[in-house]
Amino acid sequence: MLPSSSIWSAASSSNHSVEEGSQGHAPVITGHYSWPASAGQVAVSWNYGANNGPLENATSSSSGDHYDPLRDSTGSEGAHFPTNSMSQTSASSNLSATNGNPAYAGYAQYPNSTYSYGYGNMQYQSNYYSPQQANYTSYQQAGASQNSGASYQPHSSFQNTGSYATPTSYSGTYFASDHQTAAGCPTSGYVNQTNYWNDGSGGGYPLQYANYPSSDTNSAPSTSNTTTNSYSYQPECNQWPINYGTSVSNVNCTPGPGSMVSSTVPTATYPTQSANGSYSYASSQPPPPGTTSWRGDLGLPNLPSSQAQNAVACYPSSSWEEKAPTVQNYNLNQIPSDLQKPLDLKLPLFENHDANGKTTCSYDPTSSLQVFPSGQVSQIPQQPLQAISAMDASRVSKMQIPTNPRISSSLAVGVPKVDKEGSTTNTATKPAYLSVQVPKLNNQLSSSDDTDAVVKGAFPPSVRSYAERCFSRCKDDSQRDANKIILSEIIAKAKDDSSLWTKNWDMEPLFPLPNSNSNAADRNILRSTVLSTPKFPGRRTKSRWEPVAEERMDIKVAQVNPDSTKNVSWAERLAGGRIHENEWNSMKLPLPQPPPLNKTPQRPLKKSRFSDISNITENGNSSSESDKEQELTKHYSSAIALENSPEEKKRREHRSKRFENGQERRTDGKQFKPRAAGVGNILRKASAMLLAKSYDDQCSRAVEDINWNALTVKGTSQEVEKRYLRLTSAPDPATVRPEEILEKALYMVQTSQKNYLYKCDQLKSIRQDLTVQRIQNELTVKVYETHGRLALEAGDLPEFNQCQSQLKRLYAEGIKGCQMEFSAYSLLCVILHSNNKRDLLSSINSLSNAAKQDEAVKHALAVHSAVSAGNYVLFFRLYKAAPSLITCLMDLHVEKMRFEAIKCMSKSYRPTISVSYIAHVLGFSTLAQTGFDGENGANGHEDCEEWLRAHGAVLIVENNAELQLDAKASSSTLYMPEPEDAVAHGDSNLAVDDFFTRAS
Amino acid sequence: MSFTSMGEAHRRIADFLNRFSEAVSTQDGASLKSLLSVSSNSSLLLSLADDLNLYQDWSRLVKQAERNSHTLGEILVPHLRCVQSYRSGRFVEAYAAFEKSANAFLQEFRNWETAWAVEAMHVVAHEIRILAELADKELASLGKNPEKLQGAGSFLMKVFGSLAGKGPKRVGALYVTCQLFKAYFKLGTVHLCRSVIRSIETAKFFDFEEFPSSDKVTYMYYTGRLEVYNENFVAADQKLTYALMHCNSRHEANLRMILKYLIPVKLSIGILPKMSLLDKFHLTEYTNIVKALKQGDLRLLRRALQEHEDQFLRTGVYLVLEKLELQVYQRLVKKIYIFQKQKDPSKAHQIKLDVIVKALKWLEIDMDVDEVECMMAILIYKNLMKGYFAHKSKVVVLSKQEPFPKLNGKPVSS
Repeated sequence: MLPSSSIWSAASSSNHSVEEGSQGHAPVITGHYSWPASAGQVAVSWNYGANNGPLENATSSSSGDHYDPLRDSTGSEGAHFPTNSMSQTSASSNLSATNGNPAYAGYAQYPNSTYSYGYGNMQYQSNYYSPQQANYTSYQQAGASQNSGASYQPHSSFQNTGSYATPTSYSGTYFASDHQTAAGCPTSGYVNQTNYWNDGSGGGYPLQYANYPSSDTNSAPSTSNTTTNSYSYQPECNQWPINYGTSVSNVNCTPGPGSMVSSTVPTATYPTQSANGSYSYASSQPPPPGTTSWRGDLGLPNLPSSQAQNAVACYPSSSWEEKAPTVQNYNLNQIPSDLQKPLDLKLPLFENHDANGKTTCSYDPTSSLQVFPSGQVSQIPQQPLQAISAMDASRVSKMQIPTNPRISSSLAVGVPKVDKEGSTTNTATKPAYLSVQVPKLNNQLSSSDDTDAVVKGAFPPSVRSYAERCFSRCKDDSQRDANKIILSEIIAKAKDDSSLWTKNWDMEPLFPLPNSNSNAADRNILRSTVLSTPKFPGRRTKSRWEPVAEERMDIKVAQVNPDSTKNVSWAERLAGGRIHENEWNSMKLPLPQPPPLNKTPQRPLKKSRFSDISNITENGNSSSESDKEQELTKHYSSAIALENSPEEKKRREHRSKRFENGQERRTDGKQFKPRAAGVGNILRKASAMLLAKSYDDQCSRAVEDINWNALTVKGTSQEVEKRYLRLTSAPDPATVRPEEILEKALYMVQTSQKNYLYKCDQLKSIRQDLTVQRIQNELTVKVYETHGRLALEAGDLPEFNQCQSQLKRLYAEGIKGCQMEFSAYSLLCVILHSNNKRDLLSSINSLSNAAKQDEAVKHALAVHSAVSAGNYVLFFRLYKAAPSLITCLMDLHVEKMRFEAIKCMSKSYRPTISVSYIAHVLGFSTLAQTGFDGENGANGHEDCEEWLRAHGAVLIVENNAELQLDAKASSSTLYMPEPEDAVAHGDSNLAVDDFFTRAS
Repeated sequence: MSFTSMGEAHRRIADFLNRFSEAVSTQDGASLKSLLSVSSNSSLLLSLADDLNLYQDWSRLVKQAERNSHTLGEILVPHLRCVQSYRSGRFVEAYAAFEKSANAFLQEFRNWETAWAVEAMHVVAHEIRILAELADKELASLGKNPEKLQGAGSFLMKVFGSLAGKGPKRVGALYVTCQLFKAYFKLGTVHLCRSVIRSIETAKFFDFEEFPSSDKVTYMYYTGRLEVYNENFVAADQKLTYALMHCNSRHEANLRMILKYLIPVKLSIGILPKMSLLDKFHLTEYTNIVKALKQGDLRLLRRALQEHEDQFLRTGVYLVLEKLELQVYQRLVKKIYIFQKQKDPSKAHQIKLDVIVKALKWLEIDMDVDEVECMMAILIYKNLMKGYFAHKSKVVVLSKQEPFPKLNGKPVSS
């Protein structure tokens, strides 16, 4: 438990990432295993993850560690990570997770295809891919996941950085901004590092770490890597892509070297690590310690024992809780794996895998925290931890645990259930752990240590971790007993075959728990009680996962949604998943029994609940956590209330206590959000998995050949009305509306009597749903046209421009709409609001002959000639004769035109001009052509007089009592007044701000 | 195609390789040039391409030749592949190969201290642009994204960087600049020209007069066009005039290209060309515009603009010509003024608005009093007419001295 907890804590920041990673791994492995399947899949996925994931996980965890230290040192920045305890951490974890996903996908593919290759290669490739994928998908897939992360600002930064994907996310667009906002450089830097880690995974770890610590320590591991890392640090988000590239290159170089590095480095690195660790501590930079630990890991393959020791040593010295723990975890993970699979030539890989698996495990926990109900989270973490390393891990965990307190706090939030279940599970799992040899060690760490020692003697650490995994799934005693029996059988069998030491236990699928169903039911009850389910009636029957699709994803989704029933279904699905796993196993390593999925199902369920809640409250939570956004939470007040309810708090506390060891605290309060993000992440992971699977199926396939359609979200929401919220994670199908609903929504907006701000909000959410589902048809055009018109009406030029550019693209694709109308608008925009002659030329030049016959276009061209000649009379005639929307567009130019005209008049007219004439010519009379007499004329007259005075004109009254403009006197006194009412024209942002301040 | 034997092909390929490495080793820029110009369709390269097709194993020959001059293989292998692809019309491939070769060549070129290879570098710069354009055409016909010219642009920037320095190679920089302009104008990304222009015009090691005159003319032509886009007529006039004066008078096509822009610029600053000039260079699209300006015939101007609208829009002078309308109004009022003066000199300086409206009616231009009044106000405001407008009596009162000031090379004030 200790190890696990420590891992968790480390992971906590990266929890999401872990999840994702795990998912991603799983997908990779199985292709589709979504992370919910994780329980069943977990084992497999972990292993995979280990391959691919390790890097990511490591990165995430490492990042988390780093972060923590940072927090300590930097305070605010550090806060992101360190503070993680709150939502931020969770967010960060999400981010990392998201990041991880893309990367994972890439990894997964690679691993499968290139398994034989060294780590470096795999990682490298995967990284490579992930960026590409991101690019392709731009939004939804990898990008989406990242995006989601991004939205939570603090988190987002992390995510972005973390996410490998960051590159992708960047491409995706939204996210980039988020990244920046979030944390800024430090986080990004971390992320970069993490990325490196991933890249380097094979041999890169040490190097990367080295970077952190500063050149001194780094020098030992590998200069090149370090240098690159350092780069990444500073540049922040922007650098990501660069980092990517560099990292990739590094990776390429390292593939072989990776192993080399690990082997060679260990000795050198160890000392460095220790040194680094100390450095880092001093500096308060978590990364160094992490790096050191990593190095240790690297070294581990060669010298497992030494590594373990090193790791241990590092930890104490580091004393940085999170960092050290994570490091340790890694080390531990690696070590066990090493031990287990020294035999294979691929040892380095294996080790990595193991490490990955460990990391992934940790991820899973984290993910569970976020995504799943709290209970799940805790469980998951434990499992991973356990899986990671029995003995070493345990030590490490101990070490870590003390440090983790922060994390634990964060964790607490996420895991109300976790406490009870988790506690049970934890204890259970740990005992299970022990049970392998020492059945019941309630004391988490201490006992684990002892057990570890025992275990070490008799079993390879991987077996221990396997056992841990198995037990971690158990939620009650009966299960545990069953588990114990089966496990002992398995181990006995393995002993008989003498495969105990050769088997890749990390890859071993977990056997199904016989009692799983009944257990599941029990568990459900437990959970419900624990979680105070009443509050969270399974609101959403639809799983977010559904969109992800096909195969396992669907399964998972279904599982997630159907709370109580889900368990069963889960098991079934898990079984399905297992098959995949088996495939994986067959591909990579011989792995026997699919383990009990019980816990996994449960976890998913819990998570699903949470996710539901979180979904509901998503915004609210996140916003609530960030004080600024609290306003938004009002919308989700109910959800928030749930969160804030005493019970919730209690749970959180429980969790936090439990996880004090773990790094999870980061997520704590905010975990809710993270969870939400986690869900998104899961989706993304799922998509990543799909990708991975496709890769698996066809390793040779080019990225271009990926069937992105299969990854497109299909909405299931039936709500017509939906507030716009910028996506910060992969879209949740449950909140995305399908086309027919969107049509209704559009109609609703069109017929709504509410104000523009409301409509704009609604239309944006419609646009988002369309984009997310990649719907591009006449409905899309209609939506953009409607929005464009409304924006014009409201003088919201920025929004109009957005619509306009989308429409241009859509029209160019041959989708029908009111093209003429909008080309007239765009022409007017260029004429009136841009001074670029070339733009004007090209837009006139691009008009077809048919377009030139169109009334609106003709009108626009006439406006152009009036403006170009300065013919104000013509301009205001056109202004009056214009269709209403064009009037709106011209409105924005009226002031300028009038001022120009009055300057002209006062220079050319002598001695006077009557104000009524000016009012007539300059369009002050509201009704066309009637300006000279009648009431309208009078009105226009007054307006005009007011306007003239406001602009410094000299007005005199002549003998006939008619007001006149003294042209000569005015010519020197005219001026353009400061626009007091800029808001009235166009600056809708101000209007929106105004709206919100009033609303709040 | 002749029936060349394998042996013949082998010999000729080897010969080409020899010539290439010899040109490099003796620093013979002129002969190197001819070996690099892929798109020149020289018989040498065409037959070489055939030989290459015949003798498939030519890369072995290159390797042999490489023994003598190690780095040339990186240039020659892709270069020969480019020659081959070009010959068979696969321009995308040809471009890709040439880009590789060009990069390798640039690498070498940087190491050559003297400027002997500057001309060869020019050939490379020219070829890469031509090949990129061909490749883009091919890509576009395949429905793919034509992006090669952009790539060529960034290569050219690298070349520019290698030339723009204090060394003897700096005289070659302007040629590359012009190639860049061509690419950017074609791409419609003229804003990218600015950085190059800035370094040409501000860098101390560039003495503009030091460049070859053909490059100077091209440079002035393009920068002049940029000024036309910006409606910066005085600068445009100066640059285009420079180009016109220094352009070799035998290159009528070039002169015509310059005049295409120079004439509208001159018109907008009040200088009209002789009809014979327009005829000589077949710039008949401007004939009616000039006539309209001379006669104050607004209708003719509008018709001419409409008639050649597409062309003017494409060349980018449409907006410039459109602004000539004010000068036509001026001319029209001036004519009325002259008529009135002939009739009754004492009242000539007062022109009734109705008269102008009527004159426009004759021209079949339907403008009401308000609009004409507005135009008169604008003429006065823009200093095309001296005087004032009396609103109550609807009369334009002209100054007695020089009521219609000439532009004399100054643009209409805005």
